Amino acid sequence: MPLLVWTLVFPLVTAGIGGIGGPRALRESIMIGGLTVTFALSLAVAGQFLAGATPAAFGDALRVDGLSALVLVLCAFVGLISGIYGVGYLRRNEDRGLITMRMRREFFGLMPAFVFAILLVSMSNNLGILWIAVELTTLASVFFVTFHDRDTSLEAAWKFLMLGSLGLAFALLGTVLLFASGQGHLGEGVGALNWTRLMQAAPIMHPFTLRLGVVFALIGYGTKAGLAPMHTWKPDAYGEAPSPAGVLMAVGMLNAALYCVLRIHIISSAALGPAFSGGLLLTLGLLSVLVATPFILIQWNLKRLLAYSSIEHVGIMAIGFGFGAKTGVFGALLHMTYHTLAKPVSFFSAGTLAQLHSSSNFDRIGNGTFTRAPIASGLFVLSAVMITGSPPFGLFFSEMTILRAGFVGSHVAATSTFLAALIVLFCGFAYQVGRLVLGPPRDPADRRVPQPERFDLGTWTSIVAAAIAMVSAFYLPGPLLALIRAATDVVWGGA
Amino acid sequence: MTANLLVLCAAGMLVTAYLMVGQKALFTTIRLYGVQSALLAVVAATNAFSEGRSELFVTAALTVTLKGLLIPWFLMKVIDRIGIHREIEPFLNVPASLLVCLGLTVVGYRVSTGFPEGARGASHHVIGVALSMLLIGLFLMVTRKKAITQILALLTVENAVFLVAVGVTSGMPFIVEFGISFDVILAVLVLGILVQRIVGRFESMDVSRLSKLKG
Repeated sequence: MPLLVWTLVFPLVTAGIGGIGGPRALRESIMIGGLTVTFALSLAVAGQFLAGATPAAFGDALRVDGLSALVLVLCAFVGLISGIYGVGYLRRNEDRGLITMRMRREFFGLMPAFVFAILLVSMSNNLGILWIAVELTTLASVFFVTFHDRDTSLEAAWKFLMLGSLGLAFALLGTVLLFASGQGHLGEGVGALNWTRLMQAAPIMHPFTLRLGVVFALIGYGTKAGLAPMHTWKPDAYGEAPSPAGVLMAVGMLNAALYCVLRIHIISSAALGPAFSGGLLLTLGLLSVLVATPFILIQWNLKRLLAYSSIEHVGIMAIGFGFGAKTGVFGALLHMTYHTLAKPVSFFSAGTLAQLHSSSNFDRIGNGTFTRAPIASGLFVLSAVMITGSPPFGLFFSEMTILRAGFVGSHVAATSTFLAALIVLFCGFAYQVGRLVLGPPRDPADRRVPQPERFDLGTWTSIVAAAIAMVSAFYLPGPLLALIRAATDVVWGGA
Repeated sequence: MTANLLVLCAAGMLVTAYLMVGQKALFTTIRLYGVQSALLAVVAATNAFSEGRSELFVTAALTVTLKGLLIPWFLMKVIDRIGIHREIEPFLNVPASLLVCLGLTVVGYRVSTGFPEGARGASHHVIGVALSMLLIGLFLMVTRKKAITQILALLTVENAVFLVAVGVTSGMPFIVEFGISFDVILAVLVLGILVQRIVGRFESMDVSRLSKLKG
C-alpha cells in the first residue's frame, strides 16, 4: 500500500482500539503512539512530494500536491499535539472524578477518528470523497460538543449539526452542479469527479451551471470554515467542546474546510478568472473580520473569545486568497501555517484556566489569574500576542504580506477597512486578556476555590507548543517553506 | 412515455413538499417524506431505463430502502420513544406559508431556465421542481420549531439536491453516491440521538427554546 494510505489507516485503527476500551495507560499510549506515527507518516508523504513525486492512490481519488501536502502536515501536527494535550486534559478531570465511561470511550475513539476525517479531506482529489470526508469531520466532532452534557452543550450541538448539515447540503449541490457543468468532458467512473479532471475541463465548462455551482459550494464549505454570515455555530460549538477537541475544530477542521474552499476557488479561477470566486471570498472574509470585532470587545466567555478570534483569522485568510494576487495567496497560506502553530497555545492555556476554575465564563474565573495560575496565564498572554498579529511573531508577517498584496493590488478601500478592523481587534483582545490576567487577586472570602496549577502533561504540552510557535516566527524550516511555496503555486497557477 | 413519467414523479415530489408545509401531524409528515423519497427512486429508475445506465438502478434501490423505508422507520421510532405526537405550531400560519412556497416555486423555475438542459422538456421540469423543493425545504427549516420537522426539512433539501443530480447529470459516480447515502444515514442517526437527549433534558423538542447561548 502507498504511504499516504497508511497515513489514513493509522488514525482509523487507533480510533477503533480507543473506542473498544482497555486500561487507561494502554489507551493513552495507543492514542499518543498512533497519532505520533500518523504525524511521522504525513511528514514522509510530504517528503515524497518534495522529492518530486506526486503520491496518489485509488485511481487518483487521493492525491497529494503542494496544497494537500501543506494542509496534511499542518493537520497531522495539530492532531498530535491536541492528542497529547487531550490525554493530559482528561487525566486532570479523571483525578477529580468528572469522567464517565461514556466520556472515555468518546474521547479515545473520536479524537483519532476526527483526525482521520481531517486528513482524508486534506488528501482528497475527488470532490465526492471530499464531501464525504467533510461530513465525517462533522459527525466525528458533534459528540465533542455534547461532551460535558450540559443544557447549553445540547443547544450548541443542535445548531452545529443543523447548520453544518445545511452547509454540506449546499456543498453537495455545488458539487453536483460543478460535475454537471463539465459533463461530457470528464470521462466515466469515480474519476469523473476528480479535481484534476475538472481542472482540465475548466475552460470548456458551461458558465451558468458552473457559476451557480461555485456559489453553492463556496457557501457550503464556507459554512464549515466558519466564514460570516454562516459562522453562528462556531462560538457555541467551541464554547462547549473540551479544549483539545476545540483545537482540532479551530485549526484542523478550519484548515480542512478552507482546503475545500480553495479547491473550488482554483477551478472557478481557471474557468471564469480569479475575480468571480475571489470577489466572493473577499466579501465573506471582510464580513467575517468585521463581525468578529464587536463580539471580541463585549465577550463574556474565554472559549467563545477564541471562537471569534478563529472567525477573524479565517476571514483574514479568505481576504488574502480573495485579493487575486500571488503575494496575497502566499500571505494567506503563511497565515494558515502560523495560525496552526499559534492557536493551539491559546486553546491549551485557556483550557487549563477553564479547568482550574471549572468554568470558562469571565465572571466565574475572575480577575488576576496570574497570581493563581502563572504558567497558563503567561502562556495565554503570549499566545494572545501571537494571534493578534503582533511583531515579532509569525502572524504579523503574514498579515503584513496580505495587507501589502491588497494595497499593491489597488483594493484600497477593502484593505483600509481590514487594517482598521485589525487594530480594533488588537485593542479588544488586549482589553480582554488584561482584565483576565491582571487585576486584584480573588477575594479571599470567595468560596469557589480554584484548583492549584501543576506541572502535568497538559502544562508541558502547552509549553512545548508555545516554544514551537515562538521559534517558528524566527526560523521556519526549509521544507515547510518549500511546501508553502508549492501550495501557493497550486492555488495561484492551478499546477 | 418515460418523459411523462419523469415529469409526473417530479411533480409528485413537489406536491409532497407542499403537503409537508400544510401538514401538522408529525407521523403524516414523516410518511410524506417516505413517499417523496420513493418518487425520487422512481425518477432515478426511469432515467436508468431510458438512458440504459444500470448504475442508476442501484441508486434507485438504495434510495427506496434507505430514504423511503429506513429513515422514516427510524424517525417514527424516535417519536414513539419520546412520546411526542403533538401538532406542530409553525412561526408562520399554513395559508401564508403556502403562499410563500408558491413564490419560491416561481423563483425555482425561473432559475432553472439558465441550465443548458432547460431547453429540453422533461429535465426542465425536473430541475425546476428540484430547485423549488430546495427553497421550500429551506423555508420549512426556518419556520418550524420542532426538532423532528427541522430534520425532515433538511432531508427534503437533501432529496432536492439528489433530484438536481438526476436532472442535470446522468448520475453521479456510484461509489460517491453510496458514500453520500451512508453519511446521510449516519447524520440522521446522530440527529436522532440528539433529539432524544434534547427531549430528555428539556421535556420538549421545541428547538426555539434552545436560545441560551448568545454573544
